[in-house]
Amino acid sequence: MTRLAIQGMGVLGGFGCGVVELQARLAGRAADPTELVVPVAGEELLLAAHQADTTSLERFLTKRQTRRIDHFSRMALLGAYLALEDAGALEAPRDRMGVVIATGYGPTRTTFSFLDSVLGDGDAFASPTHFSNSVHNAAAAHVAIQLQAAGPSLTVSQFEMSVASALLTARQWLAAGRVDSILFGAVDEVCAVLGYCWESYFPGSGGPIEPFALDRQTAVPGEGAAFFLLTREKEARYGHISKVDQGRVRKGSFSGGTWLLNADGHRACSASYPDLLTGSAAVAACTPHFGSLPVGQAFDLAVAALAVRDGRLPVISGPDDLPGDWRPAGGQALEEPVTCLKCDGDGRFGLIEVERS
Amino acid sequence: MSRQRPVAVTGAGCLCAAGPDLDACLATLFAGRRSPQPPQRFSTGHPVRYPVFEVPEEFFPDSVPADPELLRTARLAIAASAEALADAGWQPALLRELRVGVIVGTTVGSAMNNEDFYRDYRSGGRPGMAPIRRFLRGNPAAAVARYFDLSGPVQTVVNACSSGTDAVGIAAQWLRDGLCDLVLAGGADELCRTTCNGFTSLMITDSEPVRPFDRNRRGLNLGEGAGILVLESDELIGQRPGRSRASVVGYGGACDAHHLTAPHPDGAGLKRALREALAACGGSAADIAFVNAHGTGTPDNDRVESRTLAEVLPGVPFLSTKGFTGHTLGAAGGIEAALTLACLELGRIPASIGFAEADPELPATPVREMTTTPGRLALSQSLAFGGNNAVIVFEKGERS
Amino acid sequence: MSIKESLKQILVEELNLEDMTPEEIEDDAPLFGEGLGLDSLDAVELVVLVQKHFGVEIKDMDEGRPALQSINTLAAFIEAKRVA
Repeated sequence: MTRLAIQGMGVLGGFGCGVVELQARLAGRAADPTELVVPVAGEELLLAAHQADTTSLERFLTKRQTRRIDHFSRMALLGAYLALEDAGALEAPRDRMGVVIATGYGPTRTTFSFLDSVLGDGDAFASPTHFSNSVHNAAAAHVAIQLQAAGPSLTVSQFEMSVASALLTARQWLAAGRVDSILFGAVDEVCAVLGYCWESYFPGSGGPIEPFALDRQTAVPGEGAAFFLLTREKEARYGHISKVDQGRVRKGSFSGGTWLLNADGHRACSASYPDLLTGSAAVAACTPHFGSLPVGQAFDLAVAALAVRDGRLPVISGPDDLPGDWRPAGGQALEEPVTCLKCDGDGRFGLIEVERS
Repeated sequence: MSRQRPVAVTGAGCLCAAGPDLDACLATLFAGRRSPQPPQRFSTGHPVRYPVFEVPEEFFPDSVPADPELLRTARLAIAASAEALADAGWQPALLRELRVGVIVGTTVGSAMNNEDFYRDYRSGGRPGMAPIRRFLRGNPAAAVARYFDLSGPVQTVVNACSSGTDAVGIAAQWLRDGLCDLVLAGGADELCRTTCNGFTSLMITDSEPVRPFDRNRRGLNLGEGAGILVLESDELIGQRPGRSRASVVGYGGACDAHHLTAPHPDGAGLKRALREALAACGGSAADIAFVNAHGTGTPDNDRVESRTLAEVLPGVPFLSTKGFTGHTLGAAGGIEAALTLACLELGRIPASIGFAEADPELPATPVREMTTTPGRLALSQSLAFGGNNAVIVFEKGERS
Repeated sequence: MSIKESLKQILVEELNLEDMTPEEIEDDAPLFGEGLGLDSLDAVELVVLVQKHFGVEIKDMDEGRPALQSINTLAAFIEAKRVA
């Protein structure tokens, strides 16, 4: 199976911006979430959310270049530029670069901004700019246009399985030689409507996220982008993605090994982890650093890449009782490979294995 | 650019305004029939009533009834999948023992466009979560996998108008790589007010029935439907040979990297995608029996396509079936894949409906009458918002 | 505010031309291609904005193209439609 070399990473989210900031955060306590204002029935609710700041996009693009680009695509662009910068590839030619993006919900803010233009002023006043940006592949389009990436482009929207699903295809493009590199990214955003739904689905619940309190609802919404420059090369700046899989949860499918679980406080999803991963396994979860979002697994992938490069997973705070025979994976010599695992509430899992060499 | 091993297509399902199944759609195409009309299920506030190609309720099979919990796009995808599986000779129950993947392209099917919900919310109401629940269960590929109880990888492609073509190309690659034994691949999309308003705001819709490649073309008509193919591994074909209707022998894709909505004026991405697809099958213009063009009827798209086809595939007959189906967005690539392989089997293509007068700016024109197309290969291409271009090449199968 | 001044403000604010002020837009400068450098997507957005702010409809791009050449042509188009 073709292994994907991770040559650069660009990440932004509630923890800040860039791989260095992420790594600094992972060494300590997770940053507190900020407040998302959620108008509901004439009042303003404040919902804790891990939000991303795209101000640093100014380092790469002028205001004129981004004047029509919304928050969703800005996050993607910043992730993309940071990944290329991290790889030392900002000046490299990109006509044989593919772009693959995973998103759970797509550009939701702009979807509703478009509806605002219709519902507010009437059908004749629908905004074509908002409409164009509300199409789910808008981020991939903006990335391709700004970077002049003329290779194939793919956007996948598969809720919690988006990252694993998209990576399956990305891997094939490199294996088949369709491209020489892939800018692989994941983006999801929070918005007022999501906040309203959150309140309705999980009334009275709140963070902080307790990844291993599997029978409780502790999720906190998050947003951000995680981008990776992937190649076929033998040498990798971080490590290699050695396996990608997507399937249905069956009891006891896996045991042993080192696992980074995207357990993000959603009770409906959490139950699947101990079903899938029985026996003794070294586990960690970093979701408190970036929150709960469908493409959260991409942040785990970044953590796993850092872990195999440095030979250590960060310690997770307070895993005093891990379920079953699990033991904490953080803070000691890393036993490779690190497998990133995400379960949804529909009986499916996505798996990404990362190793150094 | 390298060769791609052929992958067998053993079944096809197609449901759109042209017919409730693939055979009915073909009959409509060869009879030169169409009746785009203003939408029945909803209305917009524009003074002009733009015609659309809507799927009437009676076109849905009894086995896939309307269900308040099932979004229309998912329903369309399931219905076309059921037809494709039956065509391929698969009892759904037997699929559970195999690793079956699902790849469905869509646009509307992945968007939370529920206007009633949002109208209520933004005007200070507290709408219930039923529409959200439906949305969360309505991901088209996941809905198909759930309905048929399938355990393989699942992927909803949201590449705008090239999604369906990309889905078929990716499915073939999944099978070559041994990820699955069988894949359901194609596209599905429903008509909805939001997209109607969106396309109208871009001023690329025609208030008349669409006229692809015609001198007087003014824009597209929207449509809805689903087209799904069954692709199988060499092992499965080996166990039950003789069932392939066609093979996927080439797939190409590239991004214009030019503009959010307008195609590259020189067709840069399309040319690249064509080169890749042709190199994959070792084919040249002489081998291509016909091209199913994207042909939306917009001034820009048809100009770019005509010029590109004239340059890359000179003399190869082509048509736009969107004159019969409307532009079905994420479904287009799937519907057109089904129509393409069926026409390849028949060895003929219908007249490109809506085309009457040649445009002096366009060097290549579609077929004006039914045309026999002997030849072993046929090509379907799609151009999308965001600059995606996708091309798929089929070879005749064993069944015909 | 005159139609021209209003149009310039709409351009800067609604099309997010953050790097310029309304005063910097010349009446006869080309809006598309050279000059302001707007594109086809801005053109259709402008159609909606003209309808919204002035109640004047641009039916199609045959009508729109000449009208949208510059602030001058657009203001003239709006005035003519309003009188009619």
